[in-house]
Amino acid sequence: MTTVIHPPSHRFLPAAWKLIRLRLLISINGFKHAKTIRKILSIVAILGLLAFAGGIFFLSWLLLNFLRSPMLTQYVGLDVTPFLQAMPVMILTGLFAGVLLSSFGVLLQALYLSGDMDFLLSSPVPIRAVFVTKLLQAVLPNFGLIALFGLPVLFGLGLAGHYNLLYYPLVILTMIALALAAAGLSALLVMLVARVFPARRAAEILAFIAGILAFTCGQSGNLFNSLGRSTSLSGTQVSNMFTLMVRFNTPWFPLNWPGQGLVALGEGRWLTGLLLVVLTLGLSAIAFMVSLGTAERWYYSGWAGMQVVTHRKKPLRSSRSSGKIGVSLPTAASKKVPVFGLGKLLPAPVWGIIWKDFLLLRRDLRNLSQLISPLIFGIIYSFMFIRAGGEPPAGQGEAPGWFMESLRFLFQYGNIGMSLFIGWWLLARLSGMAFSSEGRNYWILKAAPVRAGYMLTAKFLVAYLPTLMLGLVFLVALSLVQKIPLAVFSYGFLVVAFCLAGMNGILLAFGTGGANLKWEDPRKMSAGGMGCLGQLVAMLYLPLGFGVFIAPLWLVSAFGWPQGYGYLVGFLLGTLMTGTCAVLPPWLVRGKVERLGEA
Amino acid sequence: MTGLALIEIHNLVKRYGDKIAVDNISLDVHAGEVFGFLGPNGAGKTTTIKMIVGLLQPTSGSVSVGGYDVQAQPLFAKAASGYVPDTPNLYAKLTGRELLRFVGDLYDLDRNQVAQRTDELLRMFDLTAAADDTVDSYSHGMQQKASLASALMHDPRVLVLDEPTVGLDPKSARLIKDILRQMADRGAAVFLSTHILEIAERMCDRIGIINKGVLIAVGTMNELRALGKAGEVSLEDIFLGLTGGAEEAEIAEILK
Repeated sequence: MTTVIHPPSHRFLPAAWKLIRLRLLISINGFKHAKTIRKILSIVAILGLLAFAGGIFFLSWLLLNFLRSPMLTQYVGLDVTPFLQAMPVMILTGLFAGVLLSSFGVLLQALYLSGDMDFLLSSPVPIRAVFVTKLLQAVLPNFGLIALFGLPVLFGLGLAGHYNLLYYPLVILTMIALALAAAGLSALLVMLVARVFPARRAAEILAFIAGILAFTCGQSGNLFNSLGRSTSLSGTQVSNMFTLMVRFNTPWFPLNWPGQGLVALGEGRWLTGLLLVVLTLGLSAIAFMVSLGTAERWYYSGWAGMQVVTHRKKPLRSSRSSGKIGVSLPTAASKKVPVFGLGKLLPAPVWGIIWKDFLLLRRDLRNLSQLISPLIFGIIYSFMFIRAGGEPPAGQGEAPGWFMESLRFLFQYGNIGMSLFIGWWLLARLSGMAFSSEGRNYWILKAAPVRAGYMLTAKFLVAYLPTLMLGLVFLVALSLVQKIPLAVFSYGFLVVAFCLAGMNGILLAFGTGGANLKWEDPRKMSAGGMGCLGQLVAMLYLPLGFGVFIAPLWLVSAFGWPQGYGYLVGFLLGTLMTGTCAVLPPWLVRGKVERLGEA
Repeated sequence: MTGLALIEIHNLVKRYGDKIAVDNISLDVHAGEVFGFLGPNGAGKTTTIKMIVGLLQPTSGSVSVGGYDVQAQPLFAKAASGYVPDTPNLYAKLTGRELLRFVGDLYDLDRNQVAQRTDELLRMFDLTAAADDTVDSYSHGMQQKASLASALMHDPRVLVLDEPTVGLDPKSARLIKDILRQMADRGAAVFLSTHILEIAERMCDRIGIINKGVLIAVGTMNELRALGKAGEVSLEDIFLGLTGGAEEAEIAEILK
């Protein structure tokens, strides 16, 4: 039987449209099959975003109208016109840089690590169409986010400046052109990196750096405050900023041309405006087309290179494989012989799980970034605490004396509080996601003859040991700075050790209850509703556990009784409470461990 | 079959809501036997296997492995069995050697013997050169072999495999077939599901066919031939005849 094969169209646009339509279909299906509450939330979110954009537009319009008013110049003596002219330059440069940087990670994922690449590359579709679709898919969310802030401001500027009508469509066109050019360049950068490093490793390193940077930037405000540098801007600083922005608006920097061209067009300086805008659009188109052309040459080879698994060939330690088919099964390893030393303390499966978890935590950089965050957080807040001299803030002086006295008493134990707080942060990740982190590999544990109690013990220790270690480091450091006596430090150590154990038990239990084993990206392994509930309970537990240890000390000091009684009662009550929290919640969920992954 | 029954399944049922995935299955697999479990996609093979190895709780019925009830004495039953899943999800950031050491710890094996056995298994599966590379750098076939090596680490009396030859090159597939045969010759019970009827026909002492959750036939090749229509000689004919795929096969023949 002969069959006539009709080759599909190799034209770029129909092929690209097919792929884009596929993406749209997937999105529409995702929405259609979502739960009603999710649909409602999505609609509310979209309406919220539109309202937000409208709000920015309105505020920009009002503010820019105010800044443009002649009275401002007359009475304040500040001419903001150069600043207003520099504003589109700043926004469009920001858009270009933002898309270029933010697209890198998304494109790395979309071009090299997404699961549909085999399918798409084996289909009779031009590689260029695959590339463009992936590019759009990766860039649209980032572009949308930046446009959400930038577009209303640019439109507000146009209205306030009474710019002509041509300005508005050209703003949109320029933004799209710049975003595409930036995305194209970003894609080339991705391909260059993927040619040198394995894409998966590059993605892990990127996620690690991004996580650390985001966290450090997020906390930098607090650090500046502690250094006594106000984060609010003074008049001089604003004036300096204006000057800097105006100075940045030089005609020699190509990224300034689109902004300058749009302002010139808006103000009716047609020749300059058209020249700069056409130049921008032309250069953007060239950048995009060059990246497309290069992509066609690089993309396939980059992708094919990823399929090759290279191994460092090592000399075989013993006899070589004979190459002969047919086997001789090795004899069985016997059950464990009694061992002495550390191995005797815990059963082999518990040691095995602990050892495996520590290896995985250390090797996966995406995990590591989440684990380093508490360390950065701890360093910043300890620094702030030390700079404050371990004294509570004075406030406005209106607080009653007993309150300030109690606060001062509590601040004596700031070293313990700090250690607990850092410990909580670390435990939220290590303990709350102890079972979720197993993911699809959980079958290995479940099919093995390992008691639920052993698994819980191992997971408890995997979370507890590094947290206790970190807590102890901060406790020692802060205690040394505060010159705390050894006896008080020892008590503090017990408080930290027991409070963290209790919190670990609570978080482990809730994390087990809501374990999610079906994740692909470790950043999406969070334990959902149960995990959040666990965090809330841990938040309530932390001051309670701390309070039970410390309250008797406060009472004996208030009534003038011997301090030893305070320590004894605090220790007994505290260990009872925290010990119960450490043991009881995991014990309650032991049955759940045996049934995990059966939904 | 004279050997001791190492897998005993009695009236096994698994329901997901209204859907019955496995419907009242009963069968035994004996020591020294390779048992092939066949069925179309979605017939309930993987669900049955997961209940045998204790990954899923049955709705009703019971499974015994090595004489131990999987629900009542799960640790003993699991200690007696080795399992190879259809998709080898292994810890991506462990090396092959570390993975086997970890499995040795889970089964509480002696550390020195684990090291020795690890070397032997790695050599047997031709993984020695990649032993210190992380699993995420392994090809699918290498991961499948690492998964099988893990299952053999404690020399189980019962070996349960879900599509063990999928994605393997002919040499590796042959290796696995040889290993399974040798396991059975040494007195283990081997339970494997497969879509490759040739493997089932040539390797398995007995075959069970499941369709829509119901075990519709169990027996040796000769017993199955007796069940089929006259002229159905190959396992493919019998399988299609029993599972209702014969009409589709005829259409496919016309289209050739």
